[in-house]
Amino acid sequence: MSTSDKLTGSPISRRRLLQGSALMGTAAFLAACGTKGTVSPAPTAAAAATTAASAAPSAAAASGAAGSAAPSAAPASAAPTATPSEPMIPNGTVANVVWANWPLYIDVDKNGNHPTIQAFEKKYGVKVTYKEAINDNNDFFGKIQPNLQAGQPTGWDIITMTDWMAAKLISFGWIERLNPAAMPNFQANVKDQYKTVDWDPDVAHHAPWQSGMTGIGYDPKVTGSVTTLKAFFTADPRWTGKVDMLTEMRDTIGLTMLSLGLDPSKPTRAAFDQCITALTAAKNAGIIRRFTGNDYSQDLSAGDAVLVMAWSGDMVQLLVDKPGLKFSLGADGTYGGMLWSDNMMVPKGAAQPYTAELLMDWYYIPANAAAVEDYVNYICPCRGADVVLKKLDPSVASNPLIFPPDSTLARLSIFGSLTPDDESYFNTGFDNLINGA
Amino acid sequence: MGTFLKHHRWITPLALLAPGLLWLLVFYLYPALQMFMASFWSGSLATGFTFSLSNWTNYPDAVSTYAPIYLRSVLYAGAATVTTFLIAYPLAYTIAFKGGRFKNLLLFLVVAPFFTSFLLRTVSWKIILSDSGPVLGPLKAIGILPQQFHVLASPMAVIAGITYAFLPFMTLPIYVALEKVDFRLVEAAKDLYAGPWRPGGAIVGAIVGGVLMAVLGFVFNTSPLAFAIVGAVVGAVLFHFRVSESFVRVTFPLSISGVFAGGLLTFIPAIGDYVNAELLGGPNTSMIGNVIQAKFLTENDYPSASALSFVMMFGVLIVVAIYAKILGTEELSAAAARA
Repeated sequence: MSTSDKLTGSPISRRRLLQGSALMGTAAFLAACGTKGTVSPAPTAAAAATTAASAAPSAAAASGAAGSAAPSAAPASAAPTATPSEPMIPNGTVANVVWANWPLYIDVDKNGNHPTIQAFEKKYGVKVTYKEAINDNNDFFGKIQPNLQAGQPTGWDIITMTDWMAAKLISFGWIERLNPAAMPNFQANVKDQYKTVDWDPDVAHHAPWQSGMTGIGYDPKVTGSVTTLKAFFTADPRWTGKVDMLTEMRDTIGLTMLSLGLDPSKPTRAAFDQCITALTAAKNAGIIRRFTGNDYSQDLSAGDAVLVMAWSGDMVQLLVDKPGLKFSLGADGTYGGMLWSDNMMVPKGAAQPYTAELLMDWYYIPANAAAVEDYVNYICPCRGADVVLKKLDPSVASNPLIFPPDSTLARLSIFGSLTPDDESYFNTGFDNLINGA
Repeated sequence: MGTFLKHHRWITPLALLAPGLLWLLVFYLYPALQMFMASFWSGSLATGFTFSLSNWTNYPDAVSTYAPIYLRSVLYAGAATVTTFLIAYPLAYTIAFKGGRFKNLLLFLVVAPFFTSFLLRTVSWKIILSDSGPVLGPLKAIGILPQQFHVLASPMAVIAGITYAFLPFMTLPIYVALEKVDFRLVEAAKDLYAGPWRPGGAIVGAIVGGVLMAVLGFVFNTSPLAFAIVGAVVGAVLFHFRVSESFVRVTFPLSISGVFAGGLLTFIPAIGDYVNAELLGGPNTSMIGNVIQAKFLTENDYPSASALSFVMMFGVLIVVAIYAKILGTEELSAAAARA
């Protein structure tokens, strides 16, 4: 199977679907509001007593829902979450699991099946219910938050959330702690750069599913070679009015920080304010056409935008439509791009946390990771997948957007975690920029 | 049973109203009340929200921060409502009086866009109006428009998108009102010497044509004045010869309830619309719907979002009340029912 076959077979990336999800927002908002009527105590570690109290019914409900000899999610005497004595998921029997992931984010065969999942089902004799249930981090959070806060099962055994949302869920104590002994492949094969995130030291609560880079996407036929992030803030007749930036705050602010020589891995309010000043100036100068989700890909292929903040996986697919396009992290050595990941996690109250661990570990067997990567165009967190792919599909294995060399990875930044106060400050400031208030 | 109902006559209307009332209670009043409570919260999702009446400051905060966006929303929705009226009235008039045996087909065509999703139709406009798309591409190629010219990401694109989306909501009520006009009244007016509308026709025609063309000239960044003069002349001539006094004195006043209902059905949803601004607009064309959406979904700032929503609801109520005062020859509910 050639790359182009593969790519045309999956014309929509999961991020392209993001935009439509805005319409479903109302439902999420209602869901979020409904439970908020009763004012609940804080679900943070500070309110550990409450969390511990609610952990018991959650565990009971979990074992009840399993209806078999399955292990309960946590002992009824569970200590408060986010403490050193936090219990790990105990081993248990293997049973059916339910997994929420983003659309078009796993291998698919001609019949619409997922071969790697089928292989897992065959090996363990269980059924995996794989649902493309996540279109937007905030949206999905709105759906599971009432249950998690009430200490009730969400119905999911694995959820897949982007770094900052994963950080938020873990800090709330809503995620099960993984048992390293149950996940030998994960321990052996997860790449080093994933082991150092500040929101989950020792990767004890999450396993990365896919990563992506955010960098400069441009049409060199119009713009010429663009080698610096400063281009986004420099008026130039070649691209003024044809620049798209992302509505994903961490991507746009992250790249802006990099362009200003600031460090996005340690975001401060002062740095953020500088970014807003720079972005406002670019907006008022008419440089920025609009802030979009995955929509920028349409603008780029239609020629409505010629210089965009772009996600690497989209660029792999866009290159099929419009081969001249370029993706860059800047060539002057000073600038880089952002690295983000979507992460598999086991939410509290999951019916089958042990099987969930096995399934997560399954994707750290290089052959399985390679099969996924052959379909999905994002960055693989599993070591050795490229070795397998070199035989299977060399064009994917050698694609620097899918398997970036270490020198590239070294130049990427991960947006640092924010305190709830800072997060609200950043989001409000950023939304006011986008909405012109 | 029969005698029971006879003695309790109030049961029948109540039973008939019950499903509707229950629906409104569960799906409108309860969420609205929840949202009203939420507008008096303080705190965040992480720390939890607390209710206190002292948080009434959410309202002035919301208004002072987003006043320009409220104003913009009213302007865009108002402009779109006026434009839909200007397009829909002649359309409805033609269908009602000149439609003949094609009447049903024409009506179907008005409604036909509803068979496709609203979102898809808006995205199609994005493709049609793109910088080098089927409309602007050829115009740029032959040099009528400068290369930098674009319609998307401008207020004009958002207003045009709203106009398009809500055109049927204006057309149908006006059509229904015009359909009911007794043509014998028009004939009677003519018998009573109602001729061409002079000199009013020329004046109104000049104004309408001039304003429309001036806007167009402004949008295309050429010379609004030249456009306006051409528009005024064409409008004046057209209205002078084609608009009769019977229309001004009989037909139009009889159709005003349709205009009123159509205006409400267009303006109210238009002011809260955010899809057009999201897809066709740019960073300086956001409407209040976009702000509320961002507050609810990305910032999880439910108190501000709720306060903004309520300010909008009350604002719309006030605007509608003024509108009803000016135009409402019929009771609001009667007009809506007729629509």
